[in-house]
This record gives sequence, C-alpha cells and structure tokens, in this order.
Amino acid sequence: MKFSRIILIGVALLISSRAADLPALIQERLASVVAVEFVIQTEVERHPVTAAGTVIDDQGTIILPGSVIPPTIAPGQLSGFKVYHPGSSEEHEAAYLGQDALTGWHFVRAEERMRKELVPIAKFAGTGTAGTRMGDELWGIGLRGKQEDFVPYVLSSRVAMIARFPNETAVLAQDVAGPGLPVFTPAGQFAGLALNSFGQNFLLFSQNHNGTPILLVNAEESSVVLLAAEALPQLGRIPQAVTGRPMAWIGVYGLQPVDPEVAKLLKLEKQSGVVISDIMAGSPAAQAGLQDRDIVLAIDGQPLPRFKPDQVVVTYAGQEIVRRHPGDVIALSVLRGTERHEIKVTLGDEPKMIREASRRYFEKLGLTVREFLKYDGLMNRSSPEDTGGVVVHFLKPNSPAASAGLQPNDWLREIDGVPVKDYAEAVEKLAAIEADAARREFVLLASRNGETQVLRIKLN
Amino acid sequence: MYAATSRGFNRLLDAVVRIDVRETTIEDGAQRFTGGIGSGVIISADGLILTNAHVASPLAVEISVTLASLERVNAKLIGWDHWTDLAVIQVDLGDLRRRKLKFTYAEFGDSNALTPGETVYAVGTPYGLTRTVTRGIISNNNRPFEDPRGIRGYEVGMFNNWLQTDAAINPGNSGGPLVTEDGRVVGINSRAYIGADNLGFAIPSAIAQRVSQILVKKGSVTRSYLGIVPGVLQDLERFYSLASNTGMLVNSVDPGSPVARAGLRPGDIVLTLNGQKIDGRFPEQLPPIQNLIADLPVGSAVKLGVKRGSQSLELSAVTEKLESRVGEEMVLEKWGLSVRRVSRAFARENQLTDDSGVLVIGVQGGYPAALSGIAVGDIISKVAGEPIGTLAHLQEHYQSYVDKPAPVLVEAQRNRRIALYVFKP
Repeated sequence: MKFSRIILIGVALLISSRAADLPALIQERLASVVAVEFVIQTEVERHPVTAAGTVIDDQGTIILPGSVIPPTIAPGQLSGFKVYHPGSSEEHEAAYLGQDALTGWHFVRAEERMRKELVPIAKFAGTGTAGTRMGDELWGIGLRGKQEDFVPYVLSSRVAMIARFPNETAVLAQDVAGPGLPVFTPAGQFAGLALNSFGQNFLLFSQNHNGTPILLVNAEESSVVLLAAEALPQLGRIPQAVTGRPMAWIGVYGLQPVDPEVAKLLKLEKQSGVVISDIMAGSPAAQAGLQDRDIVLAIDGQPLPRFKPDQVVVTYAGQEIVRRHPGDVIALSVLRGTERHEIKVTLGDEPKMIREASRRYFEKLGLTVREFLKYDGLMNRSSPEDTGGVVVHFLKPNSPAASAGLQPNDWLREIDGVPVKDYAEAVEKLAAIEADAARREFVLLASRNGETQVLRIKLN
Repeated sequence: MYAATSRGFNRLLDAVVRIDVRETTIEDGAQRFTGGIGSGVIISADGLILTNAHVASPLAVEISVTLASLERVNAKLIGWDHWTDLAVIQVDLGDLRRRKLKFTYAEFGDSNALTPGETVYAVGTPYGLTRTVTRGIISNNNRPFEDPRGIRGYEVGMFNNWLQTDAAINPGNSGGPLVTEDGRVVGINSRAYIGADNLGFAIPSAIAQRVSQILVKKGSVTRSYLGIVPGVLQDLERFYSLASNTGMLVNSVDPGSPVARAGLRPGDIVLTLNGQKIDGRFPEQLPPIQNLIADLPVGSAVKLGVKRGSQSLELSAVTEKLESRVGEEMVLEKWGLSVRRVSRAFARENQLTDDSGVLVIGVQGGYPAALSGIAVGDIISKVAGEPIGTLAHLQEHYQSYVDKPAPVLVEAQRNRRIALYVFKP
C-alpha cells in the first residue's frame, strides 16, 4: 500500500537521522564544555577543587555553579585556575572574574590560546519559540574526574515536570547532565543548564538501619535544568569587579511568604505576598519608612505571583532586588494593617560582605580576626552605634586561642582589658602580642549570643 | 561499728520511702500522663518528706508514698525549688490515722562537718528496687555543679555546691538520703554521671534543711537577682593586679538587669558586696557568692565595690526577683498546641526585644496549629491582630475559637523574623 509505505519511510528517516547525528552533535557541543580546576587557600590548608563549566562567549568566559566556592571565601584565597577540554590533560591558564549576585554563577576566563577552540553555548540556541515541554526528551553531558582526564559521557532523560522556582526549571525523570553543564534537545538545540540536583528521599536498610529515611543528593549529576529561556538572557552578567559589585541592597533580612490560607483571610485574591521584618537600621528600607509586619504585595506595580512551594516567593522578591542597580528606585505596594501604602525605596549598595572584609591570621596565637561588619551587628543584635571590636574568623585547632574556648564568629570587644576601637587597632595589638616572645598570656573579652566572657589565652 | 547495728541507722531505714509519681507532661501539643519512681526521707512527725524537685514537681497529679512497712499512702506537694533540686511533700495524715499506720522520721547530721573519705550510705529505690542501701565515701564535700537546663529545662545548682560520693547512685535513688553511719541525713541524693563509675552528687543537708523550712512555710523560695554572670578569677589575679583571694570577676552582665542599669561592665572585679569582702577565685566559691546575692531581700539596695582597671568605683543597684528561664505552661487542646510564657530570663537568653509573647513548646500533628505551619520555638506575638502579652490573653482568644470555631490569624516570630499563620477549624 502506497500510503503505509510513505509513513514507514518517514519513520525510518527520522530514526536514522537521530541515530546518525547524535554522536556528531555531541562532538560539536563538547566545545562549549570545560573542566575547571582551582585551589582554595585557607589559613592552614589548600583545598583543590574541580568543577564543570559552560562557555558563554568568544572571549573564553566560562560559568561555574555558585556552590563550588563557599560564600565566605575571599577572592584572594582563590588561585591556580586551570581549564581543560573534556578528555584532555592539557592545562590552560585562566583568571577568576567574580560571582554574579543574581544567578550565583562564578565567572572564569580562559587564556587567549584556548579561546579559538571554545564555542559559546548560545551558538546552539534554537530559533524555535516552542520551548521545552513536559515529556520532551533531552540529553546532556557529564565529565569524569581529573584522574580520567575529565572524559565526557552522555546522559539522557525525559522532562517529568516544569515548574517555577521562581525561574522556569525542568525536572527530568533521571539525571541528565553534570551540574553547570548544558542540556540539549535531540536536534542539538541548547535546552538549558543543569543546576545542583535536588535531594531524593530513600529508606536505608542495613544491619543497623531498619528503613531509616535518608536524603541523597547526587553531587556529580543532576536531573534539574534551568531552561534556556531563563539562562540565555543572564549569560552576559559578567561581574564588573571580582567582588561582584555593584550589588543592589534594600536591607530587609526577614522575608516570610504569605501562604494561601493567610492570603485568603487577608482577602488577597490569587496572589502572594511577603511579610517583612528584621530591617537593618539605616538601610534603604529603613530610610524609606518600611516597617516590621508590612506585607509586600507588588514590586513596581507587578503583583507577587503565587508559587509552589510558598517559600519560592521569597527567592522571587530577592531576585527582584538584586537584578536592579544601586541608586534605582523601586516601588513597593505594602499592606500595613488594613491600609495599602506605596513606598518608594532608593536601593543602596550592599554593605561590605564577609568575603570582602579585611582579615589577618596570627599564626602563633592561632586565630584569624576580621573587621566587624554591619551584618555582624544584625547577627549579634547589637545597636547600630556599637561597631567596635573584631570578629573571630578562623581558629587553628589546638592553638592557644582555640584552647582558651574561643569560637568562630565570637565578637572580640576588648584586648587586655582595653576596648577595641576598630580592626586596625585590634590588628596592631594582636601583632604586638604575637611579636613579643616574652608574653606568657593575654586576655580577651569575647561576646557570643549577647553574653560576654573574659578569656585568658596562655602562650607558651 | 557497722551501720547495720546502729540504732540510728535502723531508725533512718524506717524513715526512707519510695515515691511513685503520676504527672501530666506537655508533649507534642497535648497533655499526657507519665509515671516515675523516686525516693524520699520523712523529716518530721507530721509526715513531711524531703525529695528532689525532679521527682515531685508541680506537674504531679498523683503522688503515692510507700512507707517502710510497705503500706502505701497518698501525698501532696508542699513546696518546690528547682534551683536546689529540692521538693517537700506531705503524706495524707488523716488516711494514716484511719489506717493506724506508723512511721518514724529521720534526723539531720551536719553536712558542713563532713570530711572527704568519710563513710556514707545512700538509701533509696534505684530502678524500682525498693529499700536499697549502698555504701561509699564522701569523695568531695564542696563540688560546684550547675546546669542551666538540668531539671526539665529549669536551672539548677547556681546557688549551692554538692557533696560528691562514690556510693552507687542510680536512677530512682533520686530524693533519697545520704547518711552517716549513725543514720543521720547529711545529703539528699540528686544525680550521677550516667556511664561514669560512681560519681554521684547530693545536696548537702545544711542547704536541704534551710530550703525545706522555707518550702514548708511558703511553698517556694524567693530569691534576689542582680544580673551578674561571674567568672573564675583563678590565674587572672596578676592581670587585674589583685591581691590573691580577693574579688569576683564579672564575666557578663545581663542586658537590662539591675547591674547593667547600675553601670557594671564585663571585666569589672567586684571586691565588696554591701561592704562585705568577696573572694571568687575558684569555681566552688561562686555558688556561695551567688547565694549571698540571692538571699538579699527583693527590692533592696546593694552597694558594689568595683575595681575597673586602676579605678575604684562604688555602684548601687536594686535587686529584682529572680526568675527562671522557664515560664508557666498551658495546653490548648483544640489547637493541638502547648505554650509557655516568655520569662525575662528566656527573653535575655534569646536576645528578644522584650518578654512579651508566648513560646510554642509543642504542636500535635494533624491539629490546626501544626497544619498552619507554626513550629516549636516560634513565639506567638499576635492573634487576630491583637498583641499577646500573657498566657491569659492567648487563652481568651482560644476560648472564643472554642466557642465559635472560625479561622484566626496568628503572628509568630522565629529569630525575630515575623511570619503569619492561620489556625482554622
């Protein structure tokens, strides 16, 4: 029959085109994938880190997932950036460019001679507008470890669901790529970037466990994909400075979602809100007159959408701040009691972060102190005028400082019975103590959770 | 002489009782009944029994005492003091008379005269084994041992030192007497290190006698509070240029407390209290100093002689009534919620702005509170838009919910961060 033969030929063509093309598609797209290696230097240790990255432009710029570098690590502690092609042991030098506040991505730039071999991921972006849908088949790339020369491998799975967290995200039935690596359609179009995988609940049965619930997270592969429509517009967010600045700041630290039951009782139809509290004194929010208990209903006229789970709206509100710039004016519609208010907030620049704070390690004493930040004032529930002292950033195990009972994040108020004015003064005093070979002891006044303690630190 | 042959010791044995307590505890937002076994010693002809605060507490709904004759009688709580882990109960004398039951009472010895190495006996009900006698020695007669949450979350041990003994003390010995060979009570056995070998602790009889007298009269001990958290001066005398055996180090000053208002600062050295010299060099010297302060009348003016660097200061403060970190508790069954008043001490400990609000200590799965998402540790600050200052206030809202169930808006704070919940029928 003529009719059925046409169909058969059609199917056969489709199958053969996929089967024939996929290896070639993979080979071509490996040029957008790299392995990145670097070292995090702490006071007493060097931690080697390897991560997978995706190429975003023809300048050799690579993005890495935010989680590869802990947030308190200063850029100065990062060194030895190397980039590798998948399956190659050849090292290429690279430089660290900083972290973007909105996406959390770290940006790294590979050396000149490598750039021509790298292809920006946007080159594989499709022209179609259909987007990824539930049930679509996707494939992606994973990389093995350094011992195996970061050899690439392929994973594929089907889109199980699409949700907004608050960015449009696909969750696949199985792991589809290494975190930070791209995912493609069967035709080879860029479909999205794999994020860190979600935890999965399992029950553990063994000699000692009779069905103990455990949460497992696959650190090497992920089934969660940030869709291309969300990822592509953000690829250009290369930090202007290694600190990630400028960063918009509002100064509200307590953000809690309004759940549907509360929304119903407050007669908020089909929308969500965020209850705000813990407003930093002197912050843009405080200056604009925002108050504890205000419920933010809309940002610049856009009502806060309802997300599932409720907590996602908090991330949404946070993103709405950091996607703007210091100096921008943002209009918040808030519910205060039963009245609605329109409050305009001029966003400020994020106060100094822990990773930017001046710090110094005193090896003989066994501690690193860093300057006291606005954020420390918030954590310590201290008054805004109370800014003296320094914060314990690191303690060397079994050192004099650690043995005396100090703990990380203790707030040092006095050294040898004299109040510490600022970081410079603390460093000067501690340096003098460290340099004095005849010193047998010194005394600190440390504050922890609002309670102080006089600590005698014995030197030997 | 063996203790067993002493008349005093035999009399003591007749005065030791087993105590079975049935009590209501608040768990997962509902009131539940639990039971426990402890020991006690009869100390008077009118049937007063000394035991531990962690054996017989105000949560007890039924206290039953087994006398040496193995007869059981009911008893009621007379007084309770978690700070020293002491409680006084009294047997039902009417019942005793009706049933013609007899008992003897024990005599106290002088705990201040004890010396390390002296033989002592512990008598009690370890693991329910009624009338068990164990023997040991006084291992230390002046051991500091404080625990800010030792007795069901209540503070213990700030105002007294303890007798340490190697006489075997196990769960159930609690509240039983520690006695000398002639059967005189020198301590009330209270606690032991679990898993350690024979490290037991007893409240010295000198303290037990004093506290029990107050408990019999008033039901509780009123103490004064200044807000000083003392530290040990040991090895710091040179740093503070002090003659040895002088002064008490101020480790911390509770925010908003009488001494904070008086201007006392951490790192200050208190040399005198109302003119009396103070010596806080070693840890065991601190509870007696704390007790000196606690014994002052509430609301009395105190003069502190203070050394700050090379300066000498005189500060005056007015004492407040000492409060526990644990406030009164209440169960709201229809909500599946148990709550506790936020005490000043709890507010300070958690750096809350004030002591208003009510702390969630239990939520029962499937009930309105749990379904709303509120959790243990949250502090309820408003209900239906009105501030909640006290338990009674919350109770009113609960009652109107019970009378006419309708969704109610609840505001709670966690780490000072405010969130909203709805309790709905």
